[in-house]
Amino acid sequence: METWVQVLIRSVAIFILLLAAVRFMGKRSIARITPFHAVSYIVIAVLAALVSANALINPVLGFISLGVWVIGTIALEYLALKSKWVHDLIYGKETVLIKHGRVMEQSLLKARLTGEELLRALRAKNAFSLADVEFAVLETTGDISVFMKSDKKPATARDLEIKTAPLTEPQTVILDGNILNEPLASLGLNREWLGTQLEKLGVSLDNVFIAQVDSSGELYVDLFDDSVQNPQPKVKEMLYAGLEKGQADLSAFALQTQDENAKKMYNKNAKKLEDLLKMLKPYLLK
Amino acid sequence: MTVASQVKQVLAALKGSQGTLRLYAAQTQEEETRAVYDEAVDTTTEIIRDLEKRLSVLEYQEPQYKGN
Repeated sequence: METWVQVLIRSVAIFILLLAAVRFMGKRSIARITPFHAVSYIVIAVLAALVSANALINPVLGFISLGVWVIGTIALEYLALKSKWVHDLIYGKETVLIKHGRVMEQSLLKARLTGEELLRALRAKNAFSLADVEFAVLETTGDISVFMKSDKKPATARDLEIKTAPLTEPQTVILDGNILNEPLASLGLNREWLGTQLEKLGVSLDNVFIAQVDSSGELYVDLFDDSVQNPQPKVKEMLYAGLEKGQADLSAFALQTQDENAKKMYNKNAKKLEDLLKMLKPYLLK
Repeated sequence: MTVASQVKQVLAALKGSQGTLRLYAAQTQEEETRAVYDEAVDTTTEIIRDLEKRLSVLEYQEPQYKGN
């Protein structure tokens, strides 16, 4: 057999083999691999290149070596899933670098980290002042995770005691002017509903690039024609304003009427509407 | 504009709002949100009932404006 045919066959074989092997090795991102994985990936890559370029005297040996590395890596990963001991062996353990706001110099030394590097990593996590850090840990991938002191953490709606409406992820129902049936059906809506909504907004289907429906059933559209002001849903705001107006009117009636009973009734209902508005606010105004 | 027609206006607006609330209650996916909208529909129903009662009293007192 001619050499070029051999190289061709071998390269194709290695190509397919590696494709399968890499899929088997999981979805780990290259930026997040441990040193052990980095080494095994490089060895596999170099071996594959050598075998496929016919640089080895005996290609069978190359295949054996490649097989050992691929199967060994996959087997170790499987064992690591099953056993904590193996997991610690190949991944190592994370190192606590800052505890209770104090830097653990011993750990820094063990991890071969200088103070400069620690500060740079903290800055990358937006912790410019060491005083703001309660806890920091060096992950096995080399990343540093930072836990800020409780008063330096970003405030959440809960901290501010604001009631928020539960929101689930929106579904994309139109892409590139095409209606996507599956997400629409998962919301319990159909094409007729979408047609009516688009008609209400005054846009045609061909002009819609992306349309999303949120969990409350409101439609947001982005148009191809960017010179047109995007018609956005204002129904909720209008509903809130309408109820607010009703509440104001009832209060006014209570002031105008001479009838004691009617006054009481108006006041009671104005109060009811006020409570209702308070309850609906997180749902209607975002 | 008479008092009765003012009340009528508010009543109509409230009924419109109630319809929108009912629509939201029907099309929302979450249980919690639906419960809030359902409660809102109930509250508006009570208010509408009170206003309708008041309206019939007003129309009885001022029959000449009835239907305006």
